[in-house]
Amino acid sequence: MTDLKALLAIAGKDFRSEARSRAATVATVFFSSVTLVILAFALGRDAELMRGAMPGALWVALAFSGVISAAQSWQGDLQEGALDQLLTLPFPRAALFLGKLLANWLSMTLLGALLLPVAVAFFGADVAAAAVPTLLVTIALGTLGFAVIATFYAALTANLQARESLLPVLMFPVVVPILLAAVRATEAAVGSGDIALARSWIELLAGFDLVYLVVTSAIFHVVVEE
Amino acid sequence: MTHAPSERRPAWLNVLAALAVLGLAAGAWTGLVTSPPDVNQGELIRIMYAHVSVAWISFLATGVAAIAGMIFLWRGARLADVVSVAAAEAALLFGALTIIGGMTYSRPTLNTFWTWDAKLTLTALMVALLVGVFVVRGLIDDPQRRGRVSAVILIVVLASLPLNYLAAEWFRTLHPAKAIDLTGGGVTMDPIMLQILLLNVVAAALIFGWLMAERIRIGLREARALEAREARERDREDEVVRVR
Amino acid sequence: MTEEAPAPQPATEDPTAAATERPLAVRLERVARRFGREQVLRGLSLRLPAGRIVALRGSNGSGKTTLLRLLATRLRPSSGRASVFGRDLVREAAAVRREVAYLAVHGGSYGTLTARENLRLACVLTGAPQDGVDAELARVGLSEHADRPVRVFSSGMKRRLGLARLALRDAALWLLDEPYASLDEEGRELVDDLLSRARARGRTVLIASHEPERLAGRIDASITIDRGVLLHGATE
Repeated sequence: MTDLKALLAIAGKDFRSEARSRAATVATVFFSSVTLVILAFALGRDAELMRGAMPGALWVALAFSGVISAAQSWQGDLQEGALDQLLTLPFPRAALFLGKLLANWLSMTLLGALLLPVAVAFFGADVAAAAVPTLLVTIALGTLGFAVIATFYAALTANLQARESLLPVLMFPVVVPILLAAVRATEAAVGSGDIALARSWIELLAGFDLVYLVVTSAIFHVVVEE
Repeated sequence: MTHAPSERRPAWLNVLAALAVLGLAAGAWTGLVTSPPDVNQGELIRIMYAHVSVAWISFLATGVAAIAGMIFLWRGARLADVVSVAAAEAALLFGALTIIGGMTYSRPTLNTFWTWDAKLTLTALMVALLVGVFVVRGLIDDPQRRGRVSAVILIVVLASLPLNYLAAEWFRTLHPAKAIDLTGGGVTMDPIMLQILLLNVVAAALIFGWLMAERIRIGLREARALEAREARERDREDEVVRVR
Repeated sequence: MTEEAPAPQPATEDPTAAATERPLAVRLERVARRFGREQVLRGLSLRLPAGRIVALRGSNGSGKTTLLRLLATRLRPSSGRASVFGRDLVREAAAVRREVAYLAVHGGSYGTLTARENLRLACVLTGAPQDGVDAELARVGLSEHADRPVRVFSSGMKRRLGLARLALRDAALWLLDEPYASLDEEGRELVDDLLSRARARGRTVLIASHEPERLAGRIDASITIDRGVLLHGATE
């Protein structure tokens, strides 16, 4: 299917670009780690409190760096009229959105998988080995929902040439429930290891992801119009 | 196209305004004076009438804004965009009133200004999203593009309503404290109270309708002025240049 | 700039006679475009038959780029109707894109990708085979630089890459915005070569350019935009 090829070509382009400008990746990892450290210091008095705060801290770190990298993900396209030229080519706009989304999502998930052990170590949470798959699924689905919204709104703010500070203002009310579900699922999987509870939050997450994915893909073409 | 209604204020608009004001008065009277105090919540139940009716209308208005936006995307008629903006403004207003009502209630009862009640949280998120719609609209000069982008954001807002409600409910069921239960038991409300509530809802709907009518009138006038200016700036000649 | 205009078409001319000669590549009917408070295109009506190579003249700010971008489906008309090879520009935008290739003033390539990768990307997105990529790179003199990221290219090199992409796409309608700008003599000859190839293949070309002398002899006609309006008649 040529649409799928287009999607993968776009995703490949974005991945390649990101891999080549390693500065962006390093900055993201660094920034999210620093966020975790600061939160750990802020809550550091009480071991019990820290353990309970780990899920929230992890997702705060992911969300903050996620916003920044989503905004930055469209910057390369805006230079030299590259995206402009791309949009004159006969391929579906949704492929552009989904390709970019795929690249953003994969990087966020990787970052999440990286930060998880770091957060566990900093915050002293105990994670049963059985809970790890659940945690990884939570990270994958949580970052997916986040990436859908972030990529969509980042395209909007980039196309409007709005200030970068507008992106969190626009996207956070939409993304808050996604983050909520992700935090709750993480919380359930860590510590007591209530997998059933985690699963119900994961189901909610999956529902969010599906709805927003379908809606944003369908309306994306309006965002890149002029 | 945007037709030109007469410049004089139409009679039906005055009738609507009168009805809205009457409705407001009737609703306020019944809510504040006629209604018996609640068994559990006493006089505080009176806030419920205004709060619930205003809340319902704010969600209705958001729905209207999103659907009008979708019509604009599909058809491009300026009327649709005007309706969308009017409804979004009303939704913002009624949403803000809902939040104020909720805070007014929660302070005396729960001794806090805010509680993560599902409906209140949902309303707060919706108000934040609506503010976003207006911020974005302010950034776009071209009316067509502005209407299209605004419509697209409203679609996301509309999609978020049921999802956010679900999430907030889910959250609340696991943290059962501090719920606002204004309807004092839900469906098993005293029939008199139910009537008063419905009256207030109708009053709120009338006010909404009236505000919409006024706002749409203004919006249409603006759109017509814009169209007139554009027509003036277009070339009047209809010369076709043919390349041989 | 004066032109000896052939007389404007008499109203009694039979439009079907013109239609059977050759299909219309571009049909504009009172196309207007406004940006906020500024009316850039004021109502253009144009009939451009297929296979013609036409220069689009006009001073800066007259609306040349806006018109080209409109035809490239990057902009919608504020009013009026436009169609390319019979496809409505707004309602059938996706179909129009298949027929149109656009060379913008900007390079239009991704700085983080190599020249070759940029062309390959365009091929995948157009559904075209990738075999022509190396040949076109050679043709525009970028073979040695094919695997360098475009961000290190000079503006002339970026232009040449744009020309290569245009040739690769080989669309039915080519839109060129100031193709000669920022090119050395060798680069300009590449543009001339491109125009010859277009002519040979029967492509329709619309070139916005400030260089009438260079184009004379290579074009079939020229039309002029002045402050958003097409001036009377097309000239040779």
